[in-house]
Amino acid sequence: MNTPSKGFVIVASRNSNFYTYAVNLMESIKDFYPEAQICLVTEERFIDERADEADQVIFCDNHYRAKLWGMSQSPYDITMYVDADMDCEHEDIAKVWDELGDNDMVFHELTPEREKYYAIREFRYGGGIEKFTLCGGVCLYRSGNPLVREFMEDWFELFNKQHNNMWMPEGFEKQQWDRDLKHFDQTTLWWLTEKEEKYKDLKIGIFRDDIRWNYFTQYGYEGLKSIEGKPPILRHYSGSLKKDVLIV
Amino acid sequence: MAKIWLDNAFWETPKKQILNAISEEEVNNKQIRQVHKLSKFNDDGTPNELFDEVIEFLGTEKIDAATAKRLEKKQAEAELEKQKKLEQERSKKLEKLFEYKLETFEIEEIKNSKNRLLKSKLRRSKSIPEVNLYAMMIVKDALEDEHTK
Repeated sequence: MNTPSKGFVIVASRNSNFYTYAVNLMESIKDFYPEAQICLVTEERFIDERADEADQVIFCDNHYRAKLWGMSQSPYDITMYVDADMDCEHEDIAKVWDELGDNDMVFHELTPEREKYYAIREFRYGGGIEKFTLCGGVCLYRSGNPLVREFMEDWFELFNKQHNNMWMPEGFEKQQWDRDLKHFDQTTLWWLTEKEEKYKDLKIGIFRDDIRWNYFTQYGYEGLKSIEGKPPILRHYSGSLKKDVLIV
Repeated sequence: MAKIWLDNAFWETPKKQILNAISEEEVNNKQIRQVHKLSKFNDDGTPNELFDEVIEFLGTEKIDAATAKRLEKKQAEAELEKQKKLEQERSKKLEKLFEYKLETFEIEEIKNSKNRLLKSKLRRSKSIPEVNLYAMMIVKDALEDEHTK
């Protein structure tokens, strides 16, 4: 049996700043893990010499959630998706593949102590309260598994419908849906992992000491730390960067 | 129920002239809890009876112990708050530093540089002066390269 290919997928679309972030992320991963395979999914108009850092380049359009499309296009059997606005800070990045275990997908967890840094965690569904528990900032997944790949494709397609008012399952409250939920790929992720029969057998896990794999800079405001007392591996600048303002 | 004084009473001043104490008593079938700030002496210089009542009820040793415990707790809270503030400042500084690095990486000579080692050093810099230092080294390296071509 062949050894499964393993690599990172980084997506940069819509805004040229994301291309700059992605270049930095690719270089920072390779600073600690020179053998890393990286696939950059980006728009052709952004490409310059710095894209050479990527081992594969796939062109996408300027979709609001090109990220989801990019995740479904991974050229690897096992993929670590990383949001472009992150920075790799630790050599343990090379051990990421050990985190998969026997899972099909592995995420960072939205916990109560972290919830103040997320747009929404709890929402009303079917007369009760439900919670988002998975954060899509990073995702390690078995892209060689056809069902996982189908999951990623569905995530993208269903999100499109959701965002374009073509899909709202029963059980949600219209007002909250329109205000808080329909814009989020998190909502689609929750639906697919919790309600979609087709995916009920997929094994979904959480990174061990998961804060290290998606350390939002705001976690530092509250002094949130790794349970093992180790430094972050991937730091996420999501809330602090001025994404729409030109870097230079 | 007769009036009782809770054993968490504490001295408000090191000279033990002001006492903070909580009393509990039942009046007309109602439980009354009251916080008192008691001076040792009244305005006219006579001893404050309520103050003496608390001392009599609890004893100074209990009040000393509660005062020490409270002080310890307050100091721990202040230390935690200080650490939290420090962490917050550190995080904000880190965010600014990251933006500064991204801006530096957009300098043409740095953007096009193939010097992985220096670029990595720049990326791992812990302060703006350190970023500037490595930026200068990369630009110098690029200019020398250009010169030798």
